[in-house]
Amino acid sequence: MKRMIRTFGFASGLAMAAGLAHADSTVHFWYHFDNADNPMSGLVAKFEEENPGIKIDAQNVPWNSYYDQLYTAIVGGNAPDAAMVKMFAQPRLIEMGALEPIDEQLSNWAGKSQIDDNLFKLTQAADGKHYYLPVQYVILYLYYRTDMFDELGLTPPETCEEFEDVAKKLTRDTDGDGTPDVYGFGFRGGKGGHDQWASFTLGREGVSLTKGLTSDAGVAGTQFVQDLFRVDHVFPPSAPNDGFSEIIGAFKAGKTAMTIHHIGSANGMVEALGDKVSAVPVPECGGGRWTAFGDESTAIFSSAEDKEAAWKWISFLSSPGNNAAFNEATGQLPVVKSDADSWTLQPKRFVQATVASLPFAHLYPNVSQTSDFVNTVWPTAMQRVLTGEITPRQMNEEIAELYDGD
Amino acid sequence: MTRPELSISPPRRGLGRRVLPYAMLSPAVLVTLAIVFLPMLQTAWMSLHDYVLFRPNVFDFVGFKNFKAALQDEVFWISLRHTAIWMAATIPAQLLLGLITALLLNQEFSWRPLARALVIIPWALPSVVIALMWVWIYDSNYGIANEFLLRVGLIQKAIPWLADPQTALAAIIVTLTWQGFPFFAVMILAGLQSIPRSYYEAASIDGASTWRQFWHITLPGISGVVATAVLLRLIWVANSFDVIFVMTGGGPGYSTYTLPLYAFIKARTNLDFGYGSAVAVLFTAMLMVVVVFYLRRARNAVST
Repeated sequence: MKRMIRTFGFASGLAMAAGLAHADSTVHFWYHFDNADNPMSGLVAKFEEENPGIKIDAQNVPWNSYYDQLYTAIVGGNAPDAAMVKMFAQPRLIEMGALEPIDEQLSNWAGKSQIDDNLFKLTQAADGKHYYLPVQYVILYLYYRTDMFDELGLTPPETCEEFEDVAKKLTRDTDGDGTPDVYGFGFRGGKGGHDQWASFTLGREGVSLTKGLTSDAGVAGTQFVQDLFRVDHVFPPSAPNDGFSEIIGAFKAGKTAMTIHHIGSANGMVEALGDKVSAVPVPECGGGRWTAFGDESTAIFSSAEDKEAAWKWISFLSSPGNNAAFNEATGQLPVVKSDADSWTLQPKRFVQATVASLPFAHLYPNVSQTSDFVNTVWPTAMQRVLTGEITPRQMNEEIAELYDGD
Repeated sequence: MTRPELSISPPRRGLGRRVLPYAMLSPAVLVTLAIVFLPMLQTAWMSLHDYVLFRPNVFDFVGFKNFKAALQDEVFWISLRHTAIWMAATIPAQLLLGLITALLLNQEFSWRPLARALVIIPWALPSVVIALMWVWIYDSNYGIANEFLLRVGLIQKAIPWLADPQTALAAIIVTLTWQGFPFFAVMILAGLQSIPRSYYEAASIDGASTWRQFWHITLPGISGVVATAVLLRLIWVANSFDVIFVMTGGGPGYSTYTLPLYAFIKARTNLDFGYGSAVAVLFTAMLMVVVVFYLRRARNAVST
C-alpha cells in the first residue's frame, strides 16, 4: 500500500512538473486518418524538436462525423487552431468567418515553389484569397479486373457505350444457379457515390451542377445510371445502399468486375487481387470526360491564438519529406513535387491512371449548397431513382433547384 | 396545558419534514432541469427561428414558419407514416414475443437460469452492434438470411432486404423487435412470479382449463406490469433511430425515414437547427397525445 502511494505520489509529481514546464504555445490540430498505422505522433515529435516552444495537440477525429463536429466546435467556441479540410466545406467555413487567410504567409514561404501552382488555383476561395494549404490529393478513376477482361477478350472501356457493353458481358452467372455471381460494376448508391454518378453525367456537353443539368444531355446521364441498374442489371442488387466498404469489399471479393474509386484503395486491392487489378481513367460520356478531384488541405482558424505557430505546423506538413510521411498514412498522393517524384507507395499503374486523369479532374461548385448536395440531396434522390420511385429528370430537377435557390 | 405545546412543536418538526424531501430531491431535479428541461425549452425557442448553424449570425424570429413548412413538406408526412408503422408493428411484436418467452421461462426446466441469462443478450448489446450485426445478416451477397431462405426454398434469388424500399422498413422492424423483446420478457416474468401459486391451485380444483387460468389469472396478474412496459417501450421505440441510422441512414430514398431521424438529419447533417427543432417539437406533441390517450385507456383496463 505504502509503495503504491509512493509510486502514485511520484507519478503525480512528474505530471505536475510536466504541466509546469509547459511550452509557450500549443497548436490544437484536427485530422482524420483511417489507417491504424498512424504516423502523426512521429511527425509531431519531429516538429516539436525543430520548433522548441511550440507544442502540437493533434486529435484524430472520426471521418463520419468530422464536419458535424467541426461546425459544432466552431459555433461552440471550441474550434481547433488548425485542421485538415476539404474544398466542399470552404464556402461554409468562410461564411461562418472561421478561416484565416494565409496569402501573406504563402508569399513569404520558401516551400511554395515545391507545390504545383494548379493546386493553389483549385483551392483558391471565391473571394480570391487563399485559406487552404494543399496537403494531399486523389483523382477518381476506373478500377477493373484484368483477369476477367482477358478471359472475355475485352478491353477497358473508353466511352459510356463501351462501358455499358463490357459491364453487360462481365455480369455472369458462374456457378449455374440462375443468378449472377459477378456484376459488371460496383455502384455506390449510398452517401459518397456522387463522384461515380458525376463521371457518367457531368462530362456531357453543356452539363454542370449549376447549369444544364435538366437539359436532355443532363438527364441522359442519370438515365444511363438508372438503366444500368434497372434494365441491364449490371450492379449488385444492394447498390442503392452500398457505401465505401461495400463497393471496395465486393470488388476485392470478385463480386464486381469494375468500380470507380481513387488510389487510396489501391494497396488494399493489390493485397487481395495481386496483378489481377488495374486502373484506367473514367470513360468519356456524351462527348466529354469528367472525374472528381479529391482534395485535402490544411487551414488555420480565425480563432487560433497563435497563428504564427499554427502556420509553422501546417506548412511543416506540406514540406518535403513530411508530406510523404503524411500521405503514407492516408494512401493518397503527396502535393510536394520532390515527394511525388520519389513516390513508391502504390504500384506505378495506379499513379499513372491518376496522372492521366488530371486534365479532366474537377471540383464541385465552390458554394454552400454543395455540402447538402453531397450529404443528403444526392444520396436520397439517387436511391429513389435506382429503386424507381422518381424519374431521372425529377432527380436532376431536385439538384438544379438546390443550386438555383438559396 | 398540553395544547400550546402541541401547537408549537409539531409545526417545527413539520417544517423539517416538509423541507427535507425537497432538499433531498433538489439535486436530481436541478440536474434534470439543466440537462432535459432547458434543452427542451431551447429546442422550442429555436423552432421559432431561422437558425442554420453555418450562418451563426442570423437568428431571425420567424414565428411558425418552420412548422408551416414542415406540414407542407412531403418528407415530413412520409416520415410520419413510417413512424406510425414503426410503432404499431414493433411494440405489439415485442410484447407478443416477450409474453411467450416469459411464459416459457416461467416453466420448470433444468437449465432455466442459463436460458434467462441468454435471453437478455439482445437487450444488453449496444444498438450500434446490433445494427451492424443485422446489416450482415441481411446482406444480399453473404447474408445468412438469404442463404437460409434460399436453401429452404422460400425464395428463388437473394433479396437485397435493406436496399429494396418494399422490404427495408420491415427488415429494420424485425431487428428492433429482436432487440426489444427481452425487456418485455423480463418485466412480464417478474409479474408472473408475483402471482400466488394458490390461485392456480384453487382454479384447477374448480376445474378451470389452462386457457381459462391464463385468461382469468395470468393476464390480470400481469396487466399492470404490461401497461407500464408498453408505455416505456412506446416512448423508447418512438424516439429511437440509432438502429435505423446505422442500418440504412433512412434510405433507400426516404423509405426508412422516421420523424426523429428526419429531425436529426435536418439539424445535424444539414445544420438547419430551426427546421429540425420544429420537426422535433411537432413529433413530441404528437407523441404526447398518443401517450395521454394510452394512459387513459390503460388505467381503465387495469382498474376494471
